[in-house]
Amino acid sequence: MIRIPLLQKVHTVLAFLAVTACQNAIAQVDFAHDVFPLFKSQCSKCHGGDESEGGFSLNSRESLLKGADSGPAVVVGKSRSSLLYEVITTSDPDKRMPPEGERLTEVQIKKIANWIDEGVAWEPGLSLAKDTYEPPLLPRRPDLPKATPGFEHPIDRLLQSSSNGTDITRSALKDESQFARRLSLDISGILPEQDWLAEFLKDGSSDKRTKLIRTLLADKRNYAEHWLTFWNDILRNDYGGTGFITGGRKQISQWLYKSLIDNKPYDQMARELISPTPDSAGFSEGIRWRGTVSAGQTVEIQFSQSVGQSFLGINLKCASCHDSFIDRWKLDDAYGLAAIFSKTPLDVHRCDKPTGKQAKPAWLFPELGTIDAELSQPERLRQLAGLMTHPQNGRFSRTIVNRLWHRLMGRGIVEPVDSMQSRPWNEDLLDWLAVDFAEHGFDLKHTIELICTSRAYQSQVEVVLDSQNQADYVYRGPRGKRMTAEQFVDCVWQLCDAAPSDFDAPVLRGEMTPEQLSQTEQLRGKWIWSNADSEHASSKDKASFQRSLDLEKVPERAAVVASCDNSFELFINKKKVLSSDNWESIRATSITKYLKKGTNEFLLSCKNAGDGPNPAGVFLEARWLDEKGKEHYFHTDANWQTSEQLPGKNGEFKGEVSWTAAALASKPEIWMNRIGKELRSQLGLGMQSQNWMVRAGLRKSDALQRTLGRPNRDQIVTSRPTAWSTLEALDLCNAPALDKYLMHGAEEYENKGMASADLVDTVFLRALSRKPTVDEKSIAIEMLGNGKPTADRIQDFLWTVVMLPEFQIVR
Amino acid sequence: MSSSALPDFLADPEMPRREVRRRFLQSLSAAATAALMVNEPKWIQAQTSSQGVEHPKPTADSCILLWMAGGMAAPDTFDPKRYVPFEIGTPVKKIESTFPAIDTVVDPIKITAGLENVAQIMDRGTLIRSHVLPDLGSILHSRHQYHWHTGYVPPQTVACPHLGAWMAKVLGPLNPVIPPFITVGQRLEGVGESEELKAFTTAGFFGSEYGPMVLPYPAEAAQSVRPPKGMESTRFQNRYALYKKLIDQHPQRDAMSDFQQQSLLRSMENAHRLMNSPDRAAFDINLEPKESYDRYNVSQFGQGCLLARRLVESGARFVEVTTEYVPFLHWDTHANGHETLVRMKKEIDQPIAQLIRDLEKSKLLDRTLVVLASEFSRDMIMEGKPGSTANDQTTEPVDEIKAMKHYGQHRHFTGASCVLMFGGGIQRGRLYGASAVERPFVAIEDPISVMDLHATILRAMGISPKTMFEIEGRPFYPTQDGNGVPVASLFNA
Repeated sequence: MIRIPLLQKVHTVLAFLAVTACQNAIAQVDFAHDVFPLFKSQCSKCHGGDESEGGFSLNSRESLLKGADSGPAVVVGKSRSSLLYEVITTSDPDKRMPPEGERLTEVQIKKIANWIDEGVAWEPGLSLAKDTYEPPLLPRRPDLPKATPGFEHPIDRLLQSSSNGTDITRSALKDESQFARRLSLDISGILPEQDWLAEFLKDGSSDKRTKLIRTLLADKRNYAEHWLTFWNDILRNDYGGTGFITGGRKQISQWLYKSLIDNKPYDQMARELISPTPDSAGFSEGIRWRGTVSAGQTVEIQFSQSVGQSFLGINLKCASCHDSFIDRWKLDDAYGLAAIFSKTPLDVHRCDKPTGKQAKPAWLFPELGTIDAELSQPERLRQLAGLMTHPQNGRFSRTIVNRLWHRLMGRGIVEPVDSMQSRPWNEDLLDWLAVDFAEHGFDLKHTIELICTSRAYQSQVEVVLDSQNQADYVYRGPRGKRMTAEQFVDCVWQLCDAAPSDFDAPVLRGEMTPEQLSQTEQLRGKWIWSNADSEHASSKDKASFQRSLDLEKVPERAAVVASCDNSFELFINKKKVLSSDNWESIRATSITKYLKKGTNEFLLSCKNAGDGPNPAGVFLEARWLDEKGKEHYFHTDANWQTSEQLPGKNGEFKGEVSWTAAALASKPEIWMNRIGKELRSQLGLGMQSQNWMVRAGLRKSDALQRTLGRPNRDQIVTSRPTAWSTLEALDLCNAPALDKYLMHGAEEYENKGMASADLVDTVFLRALSRKPTVDEKSIAIEMLGNGKPTADRIQDFLWTVVMLPEFQIVR
Repeated sequence: MSSSALPDFLADPEMPRREVRRRFLQSLSAAATAALMVNEPKWIQAQTSSQGVEHPKPTADSCILLWMAGGMAAPDTFDPKRYVPFEIGTPVKKIESTFPAIDTVVDPIKITAGLENVAQIMDRGTLIRSHVLPDLGSILHSRHQYHWHTGYVPPQTVACPHLGAWMAKVLGPLNPVIPPFITVGQRLEGVGESEELKAFTTAGFFGSEYGPMVLPYPAEAAQSVRPPKGMESTRFQNRYALYKKLIDQHPQRDAMSDFQQQSLLRSMENAHRLMNSPDRAAFDINLEPKESYDRYNVSQFGQGCLLARRLVESGARFVEVTTEYVPFLHWDTHANGHETLVRMKKEIDQPIAQLIRDLEKSKLLDRTLVVLASEFSRDMIMEGKPGSTANDQTTEPVDEIKAMKHYGQHRHFTGASCVLMFGGGIQRGRLYGASAVERPFVAIEDPISVMDLHATILRAMGISPKTMFEIEGRPFYPTQDGNGVPVASLFNA
């Protein structure tokens, strides 16, 4: 067939189509949705990307208008005079476009015609051209531009000099209290407490902001409990969710919490996630579903996808099934990573069908080093962990600093954050932050501090009129961030003193410093076993131990710690409380929710292990506070009873059990010398864990949090909704949980007996970190009435405050 | 039907729904309408790219899915086989149905005793007896339910949207103040496998704008569009009025036009609009005249059917009413199947028949597709389908009947299950497909998969099965890979 170049003059009498009328009646054509897909599917093979058949390319509006040498393909506003229209409507088989196959439908032709008539609108960013950008792998340290007065900070220098940089002097955040609120919500996730806020405002020193940043970062518990949400999203960790029901999923909560408290270097975190300890294995092991699973979602392939997405911002989901159509990753890349994890030979599947090939362990950037396929799985994983955190793997550090920037500044330097193959809007900034992060020992708090101390972070937020235009982003300051679901609930709890008393994350909150530890009581418990010669216990020894505890009242605070050589399960009142199969891995927890008034049964089910006779023993100590604040103890000793029978899953025995007195272990020092301090520290933590307001991020998701955008963590989801939906607003108007929290707060304020005017000031200060304006105050008083307002009115007032965009958008 | 609750133009059954929708849009202010129609920025970039797909002409404007959660046994409901009455000592393999067959108003079609009311309306729709479900290697009800509701077998690399979310996304609300995707009767907290249920009761990557309004208790549905309990209407109005005043007086004027701020304020406005709209009466089944209410009030499911009818009358797009999935309860008969089904049939029989009759009376049935389905069927002896690797899941394995609890369909059977379709352009009085006369009762005629059944439902609603959205660079369709093919012969010519 002869191809007629598109722009050669066509002298064909056009067939008239019935669809040409009534252009005015229909709405504007939506280019992105109605026209662009047609270009992509019908024309791009010959006129898109690198192809420009007849000299004509549809890559951009410019190339469309330019046409080929002989003239434009469209006349803006005049579809009937446009060549493009001619060729899609002509009946001449030599001139028609597309040259073969189905013609465009009448509706499609009409859309293109209308689009031309309406002015050929072309959304920026849409292009048929191949994105040739390939992000660099190696770290790169750009030279910092010269400092100018007021712009000494590296980030400000990089922003100021960037061609995209706008004048950020103008937008410096003058208001100290707004800065404090933003910072508190970003670092600790909660509203500023009045005491430190007042002190901060009074402080006249010039470095007070930096001091505050450091103080908040040093508040390890609040930092950890806020950023836990961020990491749970990235690492797909939760306290409930699909997979747990059939034992196909493990939490990494303890490991993650401790890592955040300790500010563990990020490279170390990554190594421990890729080449895991039992506590961190939940990430790499993924979710194992009951029944058959498609080849694209086996746990091995999940490993590949998770490692790619979480650490590198690489989407291997497409490549898990077939060579990706959208980026450079191939089926073999996804399977290479999966094969590193796989303990057995792994058959490559394309679109769920075996290709007959076996996957070869390999990783994505062989230029940094390769995986030795001969090694055992744990050794391969160690090798992968090393390659991932290789000093030359700039992609690793770029990915995480971009996530931090996104979290703090409201928009990534690369956006979306899981799409690190996209071009950053400021390459120097991204590269410099990444190199700086690695040079500072992959210290997450260092980079957070660095960002927060910049003038950029401390600027007014950009007012964003339209969030859709992502392609031509220009930095104009940080963006407002919608509170996460957890953050919103936390702040409401904080404002209304309405937090529940228990939580689901299996963690001990906070940390035990040496000073705090020195102030806790010595342990009183004894190591016990079923017979006196515990030093040479049979490796097959099994024993239960029990004792009951009478309580006149359920204590407000109570905790337990236990350890057993070699493994134990602890039941209180027939509920499983703790278990461990490693005596050096200490388990402690708050036990308030397991206790009841009257008799409480403590039951330990223990087993020794190993080859041949070896030491066996078990230790337990519980403490609780009575209402006068006096501490009480309950612990293993010779008063406990023992039996050879072990209970079932629920701590219940089948049939009668014969109990005898337990024996004190002959050489407790073999354990105590090693773990005595840790036992004490964990028990102390268990007690102090209950001192603080529970955080929503430590609890399972609920209806309110789900509506407000907390994801089901069945997949890795690293960005939350930025806008509100009507259904969310409905819940915000009448969700029983929220209503209850607000009423709780209202009653607290009512009990304080505050007059309306004082109440308005207090609530504004606590919620918004500022005083109300005169107008606001008079509206609020109108709502509350003069004098001492009722709880109902206070509740309504609290609702209006927490619904203010100013409350819910961090800016 | 209480037509007084309806705006005039909704009560006019002759008026095409598109026209109804257009008028609704006109009745709202431009700003609020834009708010409802606008594509909010999405946390995951889901870009439409319909690739020139042309949607079929819809034959229905609304869809009601009656979900028989837990595995409705076809031989004991809509596909009677040889009936063997209860008798101690009977070999289990001899029993095929535990209910006798009864006649329906359509001559050759017989269903089982206990469904006498539904038997009287079989001339209004099509009975499918050849719906084939996949065998997923192991039966986890919620996993099969995920597959049935999203068209994709979990786990998936992206969060898949529920069928209702597809309608919400592609079609939008029929009446802007009624959320387009509503589920009735399923608790998502405090029941077994609740996490698995949540995984598909969602708009997935479409984002929460298209997510379900979840109404676990039909009798309390009105509460979801009312002020919080104990807050009278004037107080609620005042609260909002003062809120708006505070917004007006807000010192940060420059932030007013910010899209996030706008989005919060608009959503608040929409929520209050719904709560003040006369349409919210649709949510309150207690407003139903007593006589009519009583006909539905035989079960929570019955109340759900009534709620669905009222919602559809007010312009709901998609409503799912479920008998509720709770492991080992209701249709999930691992033991004592016969007696449980006596109860289940009582719970569904009258309400379903009433729903169809009421929709017919109000002339809405022609434009409302009602589908009854379940994640699979059940059998006395066979787990999965022939050749299945699934473990036997009955809790009372016996070779012969020793007690009443052994009498019933206690194995999960995926070889053929029943689907009912009424209204919305679907043929009337039709029987489609057949299962084998002898065990195993696999589909032997016109087998229809979830994919093709979905394509059929979507075609009725005017959505091409090839509608494509791009998520993380992956093309994503309402039927897997866009491969669903509607069964054209099920539709009226």
